[in-house]
This record gives sequence, C-alpha cells and structure tokens, in this order.
Amino acid sequence: MIGLMKSMATTMKHALDGNTFTVKYPEEAPDVSPRFRGVHKFSQERCIWCRQCENVCPNDTIQIVQDDQRNGEQYNLHIGQCIYCRLCEEVCPVDAILLTQNFEFTADTKDDFVYNKEQLKNVPWYKGIDPLESRNPDRGAWIGEGDGELDYQ
Amino acid sequence: MSLEAPDTPETDAAVEPTPDELAALLGDLVVDRDDHLNAPGFVIRPDTVQETLSTLKTEAGYDHLSLVSAQEYENRYESIYHLKKFDDPTQEVSIVVPADKDDPVSESADAVFRTADWHEREAYDLIGIEYDDHPDLRRILLPETWQGHPLSMSYDQERPQIATLPEHANPLQDHHRDAESDTMFLNIGPHHPATHGVLHLKTVLDGEQVVDVEPDIGYLHRCEEQMAQSGTYRHQIMPYPDRWDYISAGLLNEWAYARAAEDLADIEVPEYAQVIRTMGAEMCRIAAHMLALATFALDVNGDFTATFMYAINDRERVQDLLEDLTGQRLMFNYFRLGGVVWDLPEPREEFFSKTRDFLDQLPGSVEEYHNLVTSNEIFQMRTVDTGILPPEVAKSYGATGPVARGSGVDYDLRRDDPYGYYDELDWDVVTEDGCDNYSRLLVRMQEVEESAKIIGQCVDLLEDWPEDERTIQANVPRTLRPDDDAEIYRAVEAAKGELGIYMRSDGTDKPARFKIRSPCFSNLQTLPEMANGEYIPDVIAALGSLDIVLGEVDR
Amino acid sequence: MGTASVQLFPEFLTETFGLPGVLGEIVAALVAAAIVGNIVLAFTGVAGPWAKRKITAAFTDRIAVDRVGPFGLLIIPASAVQLLAKELIVPEGVDRPTWDLAPTVLPASALLGFAVIPMGRLGPVNFQLADPEVGLALVFAFASIASVSLVMAGYASNNKYSMLGGLRAVAQNLAYEIPLIVTAMSVVIFAGTLQMSEIVAAQSAVLFSVAGVEVPSWFVFVNPFAFVLFLTANMAEIGRNPFDIPEAPTEIVAGYQTEYSSAYFVLFYLGEFVHIFLGGAILAVTFLGGASGPGPESIGFLWFVVKIWGFFLFTQWARSALPRVRIDQLIEIGWKGMLVLSFANLVLTAVIVGVIA
Repeated sequence: MIGLMKSMATTMKHALDGNTFTVKYPEEAPDVSPRFRGVHKFSQERCIWCRQCENVCPNDTIQIVQDDQRNGEQYNLHIGQCIYCRLCEEVCPVDAILLTQNFEFTADTKDDFVYNKEQLKNVPWYKGIDPLESRNPDRGAWIGEGDGELDYQ
Repeated sequence: MSLEAPDTPETDAAVEPTPDELAALLGDLVVDRDDHLNAPGFVIRPDTVQETLSTLKTEAGYDHLSLVSAQEYENRYESIYHLKKFDDPTQEVSIVVPADKDDPVSESADAVFRTADWHEREAYDLIGIEYDDHPDLRRILLPETWQGHPLSMSYDQERPQIATLPEHANPLQDHHRDAESDTMFLNIGPHHPATHGVLHLKTVLDGEQVVDVEPDIGYLHRCEEQMAQSGTYRHQIMPYPDRWDYISAGLLNEWAYARAAEDLADIEVPEYAQVIRTMGAEMCRIAAHMLALATFALDVNGDFTATFMYAINDRERVQDLLEDLTGQRLMFNYFRLGGVVWDLPEPREEFFSKTRDFLDQLPGSVEEYHNLVTSNEIFQMRTVDTGILPPEVAKSYGATGPVARGSGVDYDLRRDDPYGYYDELDWDVVTEDGCDNYSRLLVRMQEVEESAKIIGQCVDLLEDWPEDERTIQANVPRTLRPDDDAEIYRAVEAAKGELGIYMRSDGTDKPARFKIRSPCFSNLQTLPEMANGEYIPDVIAALGSLDIVLGEVDR
Repeated sequence: MGTASVQLFPEFLTETFGLPGVLGEIVAALVAAAIVGNIVLAFTGVAGPWAKRKITAAFTDRIAVDRVGPFGLLIIPASAVQLLAKELIVPEGVDRPTWDLAPTVLPASALLGFAVIPMGRLGPVNFQLADPEVGLALVFAFASIASVSLVMAGYASNNKYSMLGGLRAVAQNLAYEIPLIVTAMSVVIFAGTLQMSEIVAAQSAVLFSVAGVEVPSWFVFVNPFAFVLFLTANMAEIGRNPFDIPEAPTEIVAGYQTEYSSAYFVLFYLGEFVHIFLGGAILAVTFLGGASGPGPESIGFLWFVVKIWGFFLFTQWARSALPRVRIDQLIEIGWKGMLVLSFANLVLTAVIVGVIA
C-alpha cells in the first residue's frame, strides 16, 4: 500500500504546485535556439548558380532550371518535401540559401508548398533574427555588403 | 561492473583465434577466403551452413549471430553470416555463402541460431535467396502477394505495383477458422493504441490467455537500405539514420553509420569531436529511454497516467539541449564523416550551465519515477514475473541492449567494442537478473543515470579543452570513394541495442550494398517467447518493455 | 424519526403549487424527477468535458481547456455539439435492438439510482424523490443494471475487442458487488435500517469532541476500515483505475465501447460519469453523513455536492497515478481478498456497534 500512497502523493504534489510545463501558444511564442532549422530563404543576389545545393540534396527537393547560357531561370524548393537537413546551406559557397528559424508556414494544398525563388526570397525571419551569425560567427568576414560597387576583400 | 572486459570462465574466449586456427577448425568446409575489413571471412558451400555455424558456435565460442546480409553480384548471390561473441564482440568472423545466380538456394541457419529466422526471411523477401530447412520462409517486410525482390538487380524500380492482401482475395468469403475450436483469433493492430507504431500482432487467444502471437511487420517499410544505396557517402546518407530509430535517438543511429563509413574509408576522427559525439549520443540515449519509460507506463497504467507526461517533460528538456547543439529536436543530421558539423554553441558557458542544470534536476526526476512506477505495488504485480526471457534464449535470438541486459547478459558495445570516448570515461554497464518486464524497465532507468554521469564528465572535459585543439572535423575530401570491393560491418550501442551497418563499396561514391542490422528487429522476434501462455495485458506490457520503434524494425 | 419530518421533493411541489389529487402527485413527481435528473446531468456535463480535463491537466503540469469561453467553460456545449455532430456508424452484423439499447441502459440505471438518494436541502427544498424502506438495497439493485448494459454492448457489437471488454466487465462486477454489498450491510448494522434518510439521520449524533470541534458519528469515523473497503469496491464497480479493465484502452482498444460513435458514445461517456457520481452519492450517504456538514441544515445540498465532487476528484487522482490490475489479479483480489475482508468487517462492526450502543 505504501507504494500506492507514494505514487498518489507524487501526482498530487505536481497538481498542487501550480507550475505548468506548457505555454499558451501563440500568445507566448517559445524561443527557438539560434541553430534551429526552419524554412529556407534564398538570395538571388548572392546565388552563383553552381547547383551544388541541388546536387547534394538527399531527396531532390531543389530543382533548378537554367537556360542555354547557364543563366538561372528558376529555383524551386518544395518545402513540404524537404527534410530540413541543411546540407544545401552547408555546401553553398556564398550563403545564397539558408535555413531561417521560421517554422510557422501553412498552405492549402501540398502543391502550394513548392516555393519558387520569389517566395523563397520573401520568407520572413522568425522574430526578426538572422540566424547566419549564430551558425558561423565569422562568416561576415568574407561576405561583404558593398554599396552597389564591387567590394574586394 | 568495471570497464575491463569481463572475466570469462572459458579461457579460449579471451584469446582470439587467428584466421588460420579458424580455418584449421573448419577444415574442408572452407572453400575460399574472402576477408572483410572487420573480420576474416570464410567462403563455404551453401549446403554446409548449419555445420559450419554450429562448429563455430560450440567449439570456437562464437555465440552471437550479429547479422545476416544478402546481396546480389553480377555472377552470384551471396549471404554473409557475421558472427561475434557475446563475451568479446571484437572477435568476429564472417561466413560467406555464395549461391547460384539462377537458382539461389542455401541452407538456413535457423537450427543453430534462432535469430536467423527473421533475418533470412528478410533476405528472401528483398534479395530473393531461398533458404532450405527454414521453418517458415515467407515474406516479412513486403506484403505476401508482392511480386519481385526489390534489392535484386533484376527488379524494375520504375514499375508500380498494387499488392493485394491474401485476405482480400475474396471479401465475401466467410473467414471463420475452425468453428469447433476453443481459441479466438484476434488482430492486435496495426491500428491500436498500444502497439508503438504500426505493428500487427496476430494473436490466438484461449479466453484471455495467449496461445500464439505472431508479429506481422512491414507496415513502415521504406526500404531505407535502397535509399542509402542511392546517396553519396559523404553527405547524402547522413540524414537517413536519424529516421530509423526516430524517437530522438538520431545521434546514436548516425554514429553507427559514421563509424562504419569512417572505418571503411579509413578516416580518423579528432578527439574533441569524439567527446562531443559521446555527449550528444548519451543525451539521445536519455531521451530515448525516457520515451520508453513513458510509453511503458502508458501501456500498463492506462491513458491518463501522469508518468507519461512527466517523462515527456524530461525528454523535452533534453531535446532543448540537443536543439541548441544540433539545430533540430528529432532529426539531427549533426555528425559528418570525420567529426561533427558544428562546435558547441556560443556562448559555451551558457550551454554548459544549461546542461549542468539539466543534470542536476535529473536525479529528482528519476526519484519521482521510482515513486510512481517501480515502487508501486500494483505495477510490480503487473510486471514482475511476466514476459520472461531466459538469457540463453535471448542470446540465441540475438537480443541486445536493455532487453538482453535485463536478462543478465552482460553485453554492451560501448564497453566491449569501444568507440568514441567511452573507454576514457568512468561509467558502468547496468544488468539485472530478473529476465522479466520489471528488470528491463529497471535497466533503462539506471542507464539514464549512467548516461547522466557520462554527460557530466564530457561537459567537464569540453569546458577545459584548450582552444586551439578544438578540431571538429577531420579533413575529408568532398567526394569519398572507398576502395572497390571493400566490405565492412560495424556496430554501435544504440538506444535499443546493437545497431550495425554492413557496407560494401564498389569504387563509386555510393555504396553498393548497405545493410542495416536493426536491434528492434531482433528484439521483436523474442515476443512469442515472452508472451505465449500469458494474458493479453502481459503481452502488451512485454511489447512495451521490448521498446520497439517500427521505423527501426521495418526500416 | 419518521418520514413525516422529511418532506420529499414531490410533496413539496404539490404543496407549493397546489396541485390537486393523484394527477397532481404524478405531475409533481415527474417534474421533481426531471429537476433532479437535470441536476445530475448538469454535474456530468461539467465533469466530462471540462473538469476531467482541467484536473488531468493539473496532475500533468499542463494548461488545459482555456480557450473557449471564460475559464474554458464553453467547451461543454462545444463538446456536446461536436460529439453529436459526428456520424453515427452502425457496423454491419451488430445485433440491432440490443446494440441500440445498451447505451441508454447505462445512464438510465444510474439516474434511477438517484431517485432514492437523500441529497440534502437547499432552502425549503429537500432534494429527495422517494424514501422507501429498502432504499439502500434499491440503489444497489439499480446500479448493478449497469453490468447488463455492458454485456449488451459487448456482445451485440460483433467485435472481438468488445466481447473481451464485456466479459471482463461482467467478471469484475460480479466479483466486486458482493464485497460492496456486504460492506454496506455493516452500515446497516450500524444504522439499523435500510432507509436512506434514516441512515443519514443515524450519522448525525455526535461521536466525540476533540479540541472543541464536534466530530459527528459519520460512519467513516466509526469504522474507517469499512470505508476503505467500500471505496475500493466502489471503484471496481464503476470501472475506474485501478480497475478500469473493461475499457482498458491500451489493451482492448475501447472494450465494450469500441463500436459506438456519436450519440451512443456520448451516452456511454455520460453514463460512466453518472455512475461515478452515483457511487460518490452512495458513499456520501452511507459513510460521510449524507448532506450534513458545518453550518445550517438548509444548505446541506451544497455539502452533498462537495462530497460527490470530492469522490470524483479522488477517482481522477487515482487514475493519474495507479496502474491497472490484470483481470486474473482483479478476480483474485475480489473473491479472495475483499470478500474475506468484508466478512471480517461485519464482525468488526458488530463489535464496534456493541461498544458504542
């Protein structure tokens, strides 16, 4: 009987101390860690169309279409099919594609989840945080912002 | 238990027989030699399998059939039996059994090792080799009416198939079995609140007692082996191991692949990365065992149990740490060949203090679980002396991990076949002698405490690590092409047991054969042994104590 | 004390509203029954969708229903609409009239039991419908019709899980009714009568005074051992942890409830809660002094409500902490353990009553 009493006392203690482990989302949005891998954001200015991301993607989620002069026409990423492994961000030499911390995205059909480069550009940062700093702290050292002119480092 | 290899009564287990001694032992059974990177390999004739394996088992002491892998070459089929010893898993031997290309038949090893039953069924299912003398050679992962063998070379991968179930052949047919019998046939699952995933148990009941239970798996079969065979070693395979045992034991699965591939391509991992790997893996082990405890409480207590939520809360705390470290809470993709992808998050002190806070509150939580679960008399009534698995049966079925350690089999790859930083840290292997559901649960709860010890030591080491020696990844070329025809089998101690990977390379950047030795697959095979003769609630409790994850059973 | 001093609810209505003759009595009885039934169903409505979830959440460190309405109370109509709007799936091969009747029998049996429970007074109104001389036996008789309902559901569903659940339910109910009734007999020995209002009245004398607080002779204070026995047997009768085997969700899906959806499921769910409250009511009347408590007698009903809700809370508490026993262990405890203990308790009660009287 003592064991039963102890079990019941344990649960009653949890009930009476009034702490909850859960939070009222979305009023209280949780903090995700800086390395959290959410939806992708694509920067056409930086992309050099090397197709390394398409090559490394484990399940062919990224589809790139180039014309015969090898100019980049389309960059499609199916964010529903993506497994969020971050290999595309890892191999990209210019940080053109990176995974934001944003996990709040919805669509009406599965096909709406295929994002083209416009949509990928417009993905919002989660709580306005640019995660690149936290992943590689000195990346900013060799990616220059520039003022419209070329910026050699 | 200490870290030294256990003293074994048989003196010949301590000294590894040389390949020539083994060749001499097997005599004229050996047709040829085919050494693998991890073990000497002996090619034998397909009709001498049982004789060879029983000689090795009884006279040389190789009592653990770790894996049966099968593959198809241009000119032949091949089954490989990887044997190890429970007392010393670094002693390995491979028995290679070629089979004819047009009519692949070879003898079954089921008479010697019971674990070969399901492994050979899988080889028949996916590759197409038939095994003589097998008690029940049917498909196991694919439906029974499937046409073709997916991993064989002659299978057309583009052609879709609709497989009908045999029961659906005639839906109007009256499907009552013998109307005079006393027994009732019950399908537990695949839709069932307690089957830990989509598992189908074909149960024959006599009243409330189980006469026969037969697990029917394959509902979650994704052919991960084929997916890995179509990805490059260097990058593309690494996200997949997370998805085998998907209950937050991802880093342990990734380590299995990383270990096998690093040994295949001869890559050395820097020490700093080894410490981080060890710490991450033990955090995953805590998360996986917490879930095992939670779902076991759910199975025994019923739906509204508070234990489930408390364990999930603890698991949530570990997942927060893992999220800080790797970026994800479940599918980590954190290891790379040669190390890990990121160093600890900055600021390091914050990460260390969070980890230490978690470790400090863990003993209180474990104490609570002991109050709620293990010292509860009704719980003890339910779980003590139910689901008995004697140690010899466990060994024959190839059960590993907490299932084997709960039966007294002292087998832990972290100590016996060390990798990572485990052999430099101070921790113990937990075994219990009860052989029942209760002792398996106790093993898991105590392993959580041991993991906490390891994490604490790793955190101390990482804190003091000199800043210029923090190399997280070895120098590995972007495309990795191991030597042609190199084969290796390596295993790690995953959350559920021995997770092993057999790989064969053919000189390209993708594996030619990638076989996963899943611990849950072998553990689940012991369910009929545990459940026959017991009541339905005991079967459910036994299933819960086996702690299977269907992603790993079916791959 | 005779029935003259305890005015029953129907009589109160005939007097207040001046309803004449036999017809007036019948009308008053029906109206009174409707009011009492609605009160009980209102409790159930609050308990099921709202209180159960709030209580379970408190035990598991969560925030539960708090989105719909103030404190989440509008979840009650929302749940009702949601459950009733589901499709009523009638499986092929069920035994039709039996299958349809089973969910009605379960709450009906419990509501019938409430007819004789003295629920106390609220102002001038005394919430007791009838006070026959064999009230206690009548209550147990009504409550045990529930096992008929479970068997009907289990058998008629044409489903192996349901049948297992139904059989378990019968085994459990049979095993625990006898200790329940034998323990209740010890209450009868103490009170000297089967009439419910008399049993309540017998517990109103002062047992002893400690530190200026007068402890009434509620049977729980007179014989705590019987209280524990009765509580355990009651938990088994109403099918609650640790004895929720007929409906063990992790073993036999939903037991006898497996094949029921929509309105029938609501009836089963509701019926279960009404039975819990009935169990709490019997416990309150026989052991906790019915509607008595500190304060005037005219608010006795509120104390009664407190007691039956306390019992409900206790069942939820047990549910969150205790595992369920296996069916063979349950039967063993019932026939070997509880039965012997309840007979021993009878002897003990005889001694105690002899000492007190």
